[in-house]
Amino acid sequence: MEDSEPEPPPSASSSHSLSLPSTPSSSSSSGDPPSAVPPPLGVIREALGELVINAEVAQRACREVLQQVKLNQGEEPQQMKLSKGEEPQQMKLNQGEEPQQMMLNQGEELQQLKLNQGEEPQQKKLNQGEEPQQMMLNQGEELQQLKLNQGEEPQQKKLNQGEEPQKKLNQGAEPQQMKLNQGEEPQQMKLNQGEEPQQMKLNQGEEPQWMTLNQGEEPQQMKLNQGEEPQHMNLNQGEEPQQMKRNQGEGPRHGEELQQMKLNQGEEPQQMKLTQGDEPQAPPAPPTVQVGDPEGPAPGSVKSLRRRQRHNPSKQSWLLRLFESKLFDVSMAISYLHSSKEPGVQAYIGNRLFSFSNDQVDFYLPQLLNMYIHMDEDVGDAIKPYVVHRCRQSIWFSLQCAWLLGAYSSDMHISTQRHSRGTKLRKLILSDELKPAGARGRRDPLTLMPFFPLAPPGHGAPEHSLSPSKRTHQRSKSDATVSISLSSNLKRTASNPRVESQDEPVRLAPQREFIKSLMGIGKRLATLPTKEQKTQRLISELSLLNHKLPARVWLPTAAFDHHVVRVPHTQAVVLNSKDKAPYLIYVEVLECESFETSSVPVRIPENRIRSTRSVENLPDCGMTAEQRAGSFSTVPNYDNDDEAWSVDDIGELQVELPEIHTSSCDNISQFSVDSITSLESKEPVFIAAGDIRRRLSEQLAVAPTTFKRDPEDPSAVALKEPWEEKVRRIREGSPYGHLPTWRLLSVIVKCGDDLRQELLAYQVLQQLKCIWQQERVPLWIQPYKILVLSSDSGMIEPVMNAVSLHQVKKQSQLSLLDYFLQEHGAPTTEKYLSAQRNFVQSCAGYSLICYLLQVKDRHNGNILLDADGHIIHIDFGFILSSSPKNLGFETSAFKLTNEFVDVMGGPDGDMFNYYRMLMLQGLIAARKHMDRVLQIVEIMQQGTQLPCFHGSSTLRGLKERFHMSLTEEQLQLLVDQLVDGSMRSITTKLYDGFQYLTNGIM
Amino acid sequence: MSQVEKKTGLLRRTSSSKKPLKEKVVLMYDEIFAKEDPAKNNPRFWDELFLMKVNLEYLETKLETVDGEEVQKIQDNINSLFHHCVQALGEEHQIKVVNALQTLCALFRGVHQKNKSASGFDIINMLMGFDKAEQRMKDLMERLDSLLCGEGSESLKSLCLKLLLCLVTVTDNISQNTILEYVMINSIFEAILQILSDVSSRGQHGYDAVVLLALLVNYRKYESVNPYIVKLSIVDDEPTLDGMGMVVHHALTEYNRQYKDKEEENQGGFFSTLTSMVGSMFIADADEKLSVQTNEAILLALYEAVHLNRNFITVLAQSHPEMDIPTTPTTLTPTTPTTPLGTTPPSLDMMNNPELPLDPNLQTSNLLITFLKYASIVMQDTKDEHRLNSARLCLIILTCIAEDQYADAFLHDDNMNFRVNLHRMPMRHRKKAVDKNIPSRPLVCAVLDLMVEFIVTHMMKDFPMDLYLRCVQIIHKLLCYQKKCRIRLHYTWRELWSALINLLKFLLSNETTLLSKHNIFHLALLVVNLFNMFITYGDTFLPTSNSYDELYYEIVRMHQVFDNLYCMVLRVSTNTGQWKEPASKVTHALVNVRAIVNHFNPKIESYASVNHISQLSEEQVLEVVRSNYDTLTLKLQDGLDQFERYSEQPKEAAFFKELVRSISLNVRKNVSLNTLSQGVLLKEFSTIS
Repeated sequence: MEDSEPEPPPSASSSHSLSLPSTPSSSSSSGDPPSAVPPPLGVIREALGELVINAEVAQRACREVLQQVKLNQGEEPQQMKLSKGEEPQQMKLNQGEEPQQMMLNQGEELQQLKLNQGEEPQQKKLNQGEEPQQMMLNQGEELQQLKLNQGEEPQQKKLNQGEEPQKKLNQGAEPQQMKLNQGEEPQQMKLNQGEEPQQMKLNQGEEPQWMTLNQGEEPQQMKLNQGEEPQHMNLNQGEEPQQMKRNQGEGPRHGEELQQMKLNQGEEPQQMKLTQGDEPQAPPAPPTVQVGDPEGPAPGSVKSLRRRQRHNPSKQSWLLRLFESKLFDVSMAISYLHSSKEPGVQAYIGNRLFSFSNDQVDFYLPQLLNMYIHMDEDVGDAIKPYVVHRCRQSIWFSLQCAWLLGAYSSDMHISTQRHSRGTKLRKLILSDELKPAGARGRRDPLTLMPFFPLAPPGHGAPEHSLSPSKRTHQRSKSDATVSISLSSNLKRTASNPRVESQDEPVRLAPQREFIKSLMGIGKRLATLPTKEQKTQRLISELSLLNHKLPARVWLPTAAFDHHVVRVPHTQAVVLNSKDKAPYLIYVEVLECESFETSSVPVRIPENRIRSTRSVENLPDCGMTAEQRAGSFSTVPNYDNDDEAWSVDDIGELQVELPEIHTSSCDNISQFSVDSITSLESKEPVFIAAGDIRRRLSEQLAVAPTTFKRDPEDPSAVALKEPWEEKVRRIREGSPYGHLPTWRLLSVIVKCGDDLRQELLAYQVLQQLKCIWQQERVPLWIQPYKILVLSSDSGMIEPVMNAVSLHQVKKQSQLSLLDYFLQEHGAPTTEKYLSAQRNFVQSCAGYSLICYLLQVKDRHNGNILLDADGHIIHIDFGFILSSSPKNLGFETSAFKLTNEFVDVMGGPDGDMFNYYRMLMLQGLIAARKHMDRVLQIVEIMQQGTQLPCFHGSSTLRGLKERFHMSLTEEQLQLLVDQLVDGSMRSITTKLYDGFQYLTNGIM
Repeated sequence: MSQVEKKTGLLRRTSSSKKPLKEKVVLMYDEIFAKEDPAKNNPRFWDELFLMKVNLEYLETKLETVDGEEVQKIQDNINSLFHHCVQALGEEHQIKVVNALQTLCALFRGVHQKNKSASGFDIINMLMGFDKAEQRMKDLMERLDSLLCGEGSESLKSLCLKLLLCLVTVTDNISQNTILEYVMINSIFEAILQILSDVSSRGQHGYDAVVLLALLVNYRKYESVNPYIVKLSIVDDEPTLDGMGMVVHHALTEYNRQYKDKEEENQGGFFSTLTSMVGSMFIADADEKLSVQTNEAILLALYEAVHLNRNFITVLAQSHPEMDIPTTPTTLTPTTPTTPLGTTPPSLDMMNNPELPLDPNLQTSNLLITFLKYASIVMQDTKDEHRLNSARLCLIILTCIAEDQYADAFLHDDNMNFRVNLHRMPMRHRKKAVDKNIPSRPLVCAVLDLMVEFIVTHMMKDFPMDLYLRCVQIIHKLLCYQKKCRIRLHYTWRELWSALINLLKFLLSNETTLLSKHNIFHLALLVVNLFNMFITYGDTFLPTSNSYDELYYEIVRMHQVFDNLYCMVLRVSTNTGQWKEPASKVTHALVNVRAIVNHFNPKIESYASVNHISQLSEEQVLEVVRSNYDTLTLKLQDGLDQFERYSEQPKEAAFFKELVRSISLNVRKNVSLNTLSQGVLLKEFSTIS
């Protein structure tokens, strides 16, 4: 059933195609949404008549559809038929329900208003100390009951009869909900606070309109609803027994069916959703605190549960209304997906994922996939359609999924792993069967490609333009040769670019090959003993890699679409690492519309400036064999050496000695080597030796503070060079540099390292960054992007313009404060002050991060300092429950050395107080959104062997560090304690000493 | 002929009877050299002929012994033989192809041997007949081309290349080989490139292909338009160029390795050093033992590639792991002539491996590094004609490289650091650094080191003026690039300065002997102008301000040399004579050096006297220098950063002609068609047919 959605039959009914783009949540074909435009009443009435008449037919059809859809999951042709059968019915249903929804929305709105106004204080009290999780427990049952009850109760009638009943319902539900909401309270409170005013306005502004609308429509709706009812009843009655049976028989499927049941029953909830999705102007149903919790509601006592049962209809709508509400974001979706035990809810959220923007969901991709791998079937089934859908859309997403699936499956036992869902999905993706659905409809050069591959080889130029995708990473020969080939003979030497066989999975292959080569290089580097050898080997390997570029490959860490055209191999550096060989490469790319469809840039030879001796210079070249054959007489010499080098790159250096060409050259512009003789006639120019010497020392002094080249630490120099300068320099030396879309990217390739923890840390950091931004706390952190390729390899986005504190100290031999003074000027200058402020803000941010995540192994090699004075922590190899096994160093909450404090102006300075204040603000803000952070960690805990999850108390510990129970005053004290403790910590110093002794890190 | 007879013939032969009975093939040859058409009686004559094992010696001698008049008579038969050879190349039966190839080779050789004095036209007439020559050669080249590019046996390809090499080298002077005109028209350039671009065929035939190409490029280079030059200059297919680079790289590496092995042999252990010491008292010296024959053919190929094809420059910097592993002989080349110059490739199996080997001990290397090492070995001893030529060619190649901007860019690339272990001649006054702990530096440092090394080690009676000029010019070109691009190379310039000053000193002390042979003033001028570069443009490329001080220190310290030089050139320029002009140029060039000497010397002396120090330390002199810059005025000289571009013609034409001739001789000597013994071929082809 879920499968059917993301893969809509191309020739599906009109209702299908109409609704598709805007209906994220419809989960079954029968639940198709109404079209966005409310149909005229006449039509509705007409339809209604038909509906009544056809009620039985419809019912039958419905049943059939349900059955078949289920059976035929994924089989489109059949579905196509089915959907045709469905069509009339759906149309009617949709038409009939529209007005009703409008009413519902209005009811909601009123309710929201009230709730928003009145609820907060109450909630505050209630929420403290109660466990949200408990509340979730019963939620599953409740939902089930809701549904079961739906059939018996003429709920819709009630609902639709106007505002009063609903109001009552709402009132009844309110106390309950307040309790229920406790779990989510912090978050929601905030949400409410933030959005309330706006909503109020919105609601107020729109209300009159709605009122009138509703008033006008009411009678009709009554009728409509009444008319509809029988059908629903029928449907429900007809369906239920069957489903019940099925449920009993088929445990695992039960989720889907329940959902279907729900969907078929009265359709109301679904439709509501859909309408909202379709009609953006629908009143935002936000502070849906109340609504929000139909999920949470599941709580408490049996008593309340029973009481709730009575109000189930509204309950149901509330749950859905949360899901529909604007507030319902990816974060919540993921959280519910994880915590809900109710297959229906999971399936619903699975569908709902379609409605979020890709970027939003992508952030939670690790969570989604981890759930897919390690949680039960229902969750998996709920997620899969979305994943499959996205895989079809994008190569990038496909690969990302495949990599993550591989990485997160790796902790499973081998035997289970092989048959696990994750592995299967991974295989499916990598088999590249998930070609864009456009294979049938969309015109995509990629999909067209298989029809062309036998294009006559050798037609160099047309080949490029026709099917750019053919130039995969495997491109074996330079295409340039083909086009340049003088005669048909020469072409052979270029041995025509190998044409890929038709069944080769060409879509993903280039990128995979690219990544594979990068990893291969890393592996080979690791075998070399010295940095120097590693660097040389790296450069040579990359230069070979260059031969295969440009290709349809891209750097996964980049934010824009592009094709990689060249790796400036000489710029690559090996990074500092004891036994692994991570390395940093710079990559030249050309930005493009879409890396999947834009054509791959044509290769430009490395030394493009040098045009070779051109054919024109050797006029005889075009002479035919016949012409030449006749005479053996020698031809006058055309091989004039000087002319042949037509484009003279260092032409101005050239001089032609008069002895050689006296006759032919007029020497006006020519210097000659022995011009000294001619000086006699000229006025001699005199210069002061002192000037030369002065210029020399001046020019040397002007040069920016660079680091000295150190063969043992080649990355220091490379990283110290300001990014802009590096870009300019590389651009100058690149044959592609003149292209306007040229960009430079860089990436760290890690081979042999597990980056899953880094990815987790990135997510947490990113989340906290968002939270702080949202709360307008000026803490500064810089999460760097992580790409997990497998459980032991990946890529990292390097931090620009930053070198490690170790490198700073080693190269400059200065204290941190002195280095600041050297780099940013005197303490009173603008530049210094802003650098200092940056330092403090980033220090505060990372102190909190270190504390919350228990980041360890904080030696100076793992702390970077950027050109603006920010510090940036890297290497999150030891977080949460794991720490390096070393004699209990690093007991302090975070690293705060005296040097840091000095830069902040000493322990009594204003800036240091600012630092403390920032810490407090940051902690309060983070606490407010604790769930968003916890959720990321919690989901990733599932099924993992990562060291950061060792022990059972990881999550609890993390939660405790948010100190939910403390008042702000208490928090203030806590922060002071942490800061003072860290500052005094002897172990920090010891650890630095330890690192210096063992690893030479200063 | 009856089977019995053939058998007996074979039997007798194996029983090694003194007088070889005539094999059937020999009888058939005799028939050809009779006046009658051999096919008249036996319509299957030609078919049968190519089924027989070729008797090269017999055929060649036969051809040689035919005298003038007979030639006329048997010309038709020889034409016919040639024609059928070419026909047989298209046969499916590989044995026939092999025999035809060998027969052709014998034909070419024999005819040329016989007609040393004859014109190329006569030879063509004799082999093919004038009227049909064009068609015959076209067919031949096409057949060879398709054999070389086809999927056929590797041995066959190898044989094809040998035939071509044989054809190319039949005359001493390649340009007089008129048959090659047909090879120009019917180009096999593409086939050669294809061999080079494919990894496996490159491994087996790369060497021959590269040598063949180098020779073909030199056919009538200066007189006519050679299509191979044109085509070579525009190749930009990276795999192909890379392949060519790999072949050259491998050949040079092989040479370096052999040299190193020999060297180690000579220094192995205490006892052997002792014995060699004792031995060297009697035998000439260590040179003999260390001489490994140079490989000029491959060097010529490198030169042509660098000189003609600018795309090839990138290949120079293309890194490969150093192929230091002693290579095991491949099974496919069973009998290789031992001379390294031979056209049989040094086993190239390493190149067959497309994956870079995973040996951690391998130093990454590139063609340029290998070439520099090779050059350092070759330059050690220039007494021998071959080595002198090799050294000259090496310097010419370096000149071309130093002129190329792209090459300069990677030579100076700060990110491409390498340790280059140059070979240094053991000399009396300096110890051979056993543990060479050379820092990893940009490649240009190695080039400069090599130049300094050459300058220091070749100040001898038999002064290689030509090489010195090239050497100084290379340095000059590099400095011009550094000045232009403001590259501050961290190089110990001091070594260069003192080497140059020593060179001037040598020129001065050997003035009389040298002047009889060389224009020493030209060299002196170049050297002095190098100093002028440093003095007037030092601010643009010196690495530290201290190095500028050091330059002055060095000049002041060695002022005696400059003083003497000035006296000498002044003396010569005031006399009338052939050296008046060049000597006066040097006097003008010395202006700034003399200004420095005259400015600082009194200052230093007064400093010494004021402070009552008899011997100033370096630091003190530097101090004086630093504090007295401002009162010194220099004259800006024109054209210091200008240089004459390398051009092969007309200056080097004679050298290359001679070089190609010697290479041709060598290749001809070593082309061994018998390499592929019939047995091997039979074995290989029996399974096919």
